[in-house]
Amino acid sequence: MNFASIEMILMITLASGVLAYLIGKLNAKLGSIVTILVSMYVTIAVIYFGYNGELVITTEYLPLVTFKVTNIGLFFASTVTFVFAMVSFFNPFFIDKYKFKALYSMLYIFSLVGILGVFFTDNFMTLFVFFEFTVWSSMFLIPMGKSTKSTTLYFAMSTIGSFALLYAIFLMRSQSGSFDIDQGLAMVSGAKATWTYILLSVAAFAKLGAFPLHLWLPKVLGDAPDPVTAVFSGGLEKLGAFVAVMGLVRLAPVSFNIGAIDMDFARYVIAFIGSITIIIGTLMAIRQDDAKKLLAYSSMSNGGYIIVALTIGNGIAISGALYHVLAHAIASAAAFLAIAAVARKTNTTKMSELGGMIHNMPITYMVYLIAIISMAGIPPMGGFISKWMIFQAVINKGLPIIAIGVFFGSIGSFLYVFRPLAALFLGQQLPEYKHLKEAPFFMVLPMIILSGLIIYTGVLPNYILGKINEIVVDLGATAVTITEYTITGFNGTIHPALISGMFGVGVFVAFLIFITFKKSKKVTLMDTYTAGEFIYTEELLHYSVDFYAPLERLYEKYIHIMEKTYDSIRNKIAEVGHFFKYYFFTNKPEVSVFWIVIIVSLLLWGESLW
Amino acid sequence: MSAVLLIAVPLLAAFISILNKKLAPVLLLLVSLFNIVSIFFYSLGTITIGGFEAPYGISLVLDNYSLIGLIVINIAFFLVLLISYEKVKKVATVLLVALAGLNGLLLTGDLFNLFVFIEVSGIAAYLISTTNKKYVATFNYLVIGTVGSSFYLLGLIILYAMVGTLNMSDMALRISSEGISAANLSLPFLFMFIGLGVEAKLLPFNSWVKGILGNSNKLVGPMIASVYAGTISLVFGRILTSVFVVSDRLGLILTVILLVGIVAGETMAFASTKLREILLYSSIAQASLVIILFLEGITGWAVMMVIANVISKLVLFAIASYTSDELKTDEVDNLKGIFSKNKIIGVAFTIASLSVSGLPLFMGFVVKMNVLTSIFDGEDYLLAAVILLTSIVEGVYFVRVLIKLWYNKEDAKTINYNFVIKYIVSVLAVLLIVFGTYTTVLNDQVETVNEVFEIGGNE
Repeated sequence: MNFASIEMILMITLASGVLAYLIGKLNAKLGSIVTILVSMYVTIAVIYFGYNGELVITTEYLPLVTFKVTNIGLFFASTVTFVFAMVSFFNPFFIDKYKFKALYSMLYIFSLVGILGVFFTDNFMTLFVFFEFTVWSSMFLIPMGKSTKSTTLYFAMSTIGSFALLYAIFLMRSQSGSFDIDQGLAMVSGAKATWTYILLSVAAFAKLGAFPLHLWLPKVLGDAPDPVTAVFSGGLEKLGAFVAVMGLVRLAPVSFNIGAIDMDFARYVIAFIGSITIIIGTLMAIRQDDAKKLLAYSSMSNGGYIIVALTIGNGIAISGALYHVLAHAIASAAAFLAIAAVARKTNTTKMSELGGMIHNMPITYMVYLIAIISMAGIPPMGGFISKWMIFQAVINKGLPIIAIGVFFGSIGSFLYVFRPLAALFLGQQLPEYKHLKEAPFFMVLPMIILSGLIIYTGVLPNYILGKINEIVVDLGATAVTITEYTITGFNGTIHPALISGMFGVGVFVAFLIFITFKKSKKVTLMDTYTAGEFIYTEELLHYSVDFYAPLERLYEKYIHIMEKTYDSIRNKIAEVGHFFKYYFFTNKPEVSVFWIVIIVSLLLWGESLW
Repeated sequence: MSAVLLIAVPLLAAFISILNKKLAPVLLLLVSLFNIVSIFFYSLGTITIGGFEAPYGISLVLDNYSLIGLIVINIAFFLVLLISYEKVKKVATVLLVALAGLNGLLLTGDLFNLFVFIEVSGIAAYLISTTNKKYVATFNYLVIGTVGSSFYLLGLIILYAMVGTLNMSDMALRISSEGISAANLSLPFLFMFIGLGVEAKLLPFNSWVKGILGNSNKLVGPMIASVYAGTISLVFGRILTSVFVVSDRLGLILTVILLVGIVAGETMAFASTKLREILLYSSIAQASLVIILFLEGITGWAVMMVIANVISKLVLFAIASYTSDELKTDEVDNLKGIFSKNKIIGVAFTIASLSVSGLPLFMGFVVKMNVLTSIFDGEDYLLAAVILLTSIVEGVYFVRVLIKLWYNKEDAKTINYNFVIKYIVSVLAVLLIVFGTYTTVLNDQVETVNEVFEIGGNE
């Protein structure tokens, strides 16, 4: 028994999943506490053993499974397991809301097992097994939330991604002769390389929720139980980024080079789709009333940033993408957890039904504020650093069309991330929520840790960037020039700590102004001026309703296009089914005899064929 | 002891059972149990009946291929009897004949003898299906089944006229030694293919399935969909691998027909709203897929797929038929949430359907992965793409059903499943997990099966 062995960690986790189920059967709350212990254990084991270089990859008990510790695998694994660990603190507080409580704890841990397997293997088959394992174990978490409808959609889209991945795996195997990841990616060539590239992109898109496979993301994140939402956005989605690195960076260029911008055509196409993803995600996020759906669309557009950056593929771009994976993972986890903390008390995530929660939950408010600042890419948070690097890469590469999407997404994110802040936390307090208290300590703790990390990644990014530089070198690009406090991009150097310092001074001045000047007068929500009329629909007067109506009017006709497309695909499949039923499955035996005769006579007629 | 007892004892018992109706079901159980136990005492080899050496006499072949089939089918048969014991009482004699017929199908080494057993097991199946009390459906089954077996017979007659023997191995030898081209064999082969296709539920010869399985009770459902379907697939496998050499062009045409069958099966299941209908259309697709694998020469894993199907279809149809027997409906929307009150049944159903859709940890996944590996080794990219695309559709309708059966807003209907079905489905579900994780067993069995047909295995 070697406790630093990946096999051991994996098996312990798997076993404790079953244990969590058994304990959960006796006491649901205890079962959910097991999820905390296990995910903390996994996180600490992965990060501690991993970054000390002590992880053992030999296998004794699991046949056919091979492990390998790579810098990139370690990076993803520590990010995602950390998100799992933070979110798990919420499980005991939500467990009572679920229909199958013990099962929830088990599946939560099982998804973690799947994640570990995917990131720590050098074998495509192992990767696929764990990939699918994650899909089905996380799939059954979704229907425990608000609605069961989106589960099938998630499964369908995920499976499209998985099977694209599988097909790509087999294509690579046909040329490299083995399931080895490095060999497969290196040796595939010709038409098969193009197909592999397309299929891997499809797999990455499906998992990241990028256009046109994005539809599941808002639906699942809107419907799933609140903690699961955070795990999906901060953790499981990042499987897509992992696959994207394989397809977009590690695969050699597969089509012709566009001379003007010195970029592979296929990569440009994917970058273009990435920027469309950013734009659609942004526009859709602007119109949402449900805070969870809003954040879901924001996840989608952030996935677009990762795709765009990975297609550019130089040192700064890759570091930007990977740093964005980390920054978005922790920021979106924190944001979703903050919303979850509110929803636990109020049972709604609709912004028009909420308001003034800052009076009840000041810490949750701060957490949310920090998270969205990071998501909008404003200093001094982690999201700023990654977006800065991605912008540098896009501008330097000279991609004006892509850049439009990238900048549009960044400005658009100002429009939407502050809306929940204003609608949900600020504004007048609703009378029915007056008695609510701040979330309990064990819910606040992970949120504070996440916020701390968001600030840390924004102020002192250089340690983590150093680790990312190792990955960048592994991937064959030039490392980004960093010193202890500065990062050098293509057109200059930034000094995150200095920026943060200036920012701090600004906040301090603002705070001085705030305390010295006159306090604002508090009014209730019912103070609305209505010209003496009685208000029947007071919720429509909530200022978050139709906040961006003029902007939304520009594109509201087109928002259902994708949904309708998928609906019609579904109907077409069913139509084909009805067609076959109608012509082959009647209650008349003579119809079958007719078909038999038709087939025989057709084949006899074509006898000369053989 | 000789393997002929597997056929002879049930037949003898069938005659005895006519004498005492009350004793018949007990006799049936005993005989079925005897068959299972006795399989392990027979030695491999060819048994000549009546001392007439092949090719003049009828011979039974007990090799590793038929051995695996016999073990699986006899055990499955016994389990179906246990699940539906109260239905069994009325048709015990018929079931004894069916058992003889099924074992005969697996064992026989003679093509005419095979026809006899098709008829024997077919007539038994018609009679078993009368317990559904949908007599028109049974009549349809009878008509189509008879047409099918006449086609088989017609093909066989032509073949006999060409080759002059009915013994399978002898025929294979003569075909190669006399240099009969694959083209000349096409016609008789096609007729026999249609004949067997009726029983194997291949599109378009399978319209009887909807009437029979769509109204199935807990005896007919698992018996036809799992036991009969498994047996016929194995028979198909034997004929395709050890008797015929299919010409490329004919193979292509058949593959296309079968692929249409897969697409049709999955889309029809997607378009259905009744539980048993979904399952029956899904099993049409599965059956077509297995036959494609035999055609492609992926024999070993095809056999494993048959076994996986036998296990999972048994679980699925047993639960679906039992449920609709109790509730008199199988509209999925009327069954919402039934599993939340019957967790064991629900978990078994879930595992079986996840295994059929090929998700990891379950047997179906291992089989599917190995099958795909072989298909890609054969560089048949289109086939692989069709299989994967239809698998998406398959997974979607299974997940849709699962979510509906587990979750409900209102109160779910209560059903009391008896402990027999609970035990049996949970044991089978565990078996799916065992084979899905401990894959060495499967690999070994695949090797043995491939050795029978001297196919270079997948090492």
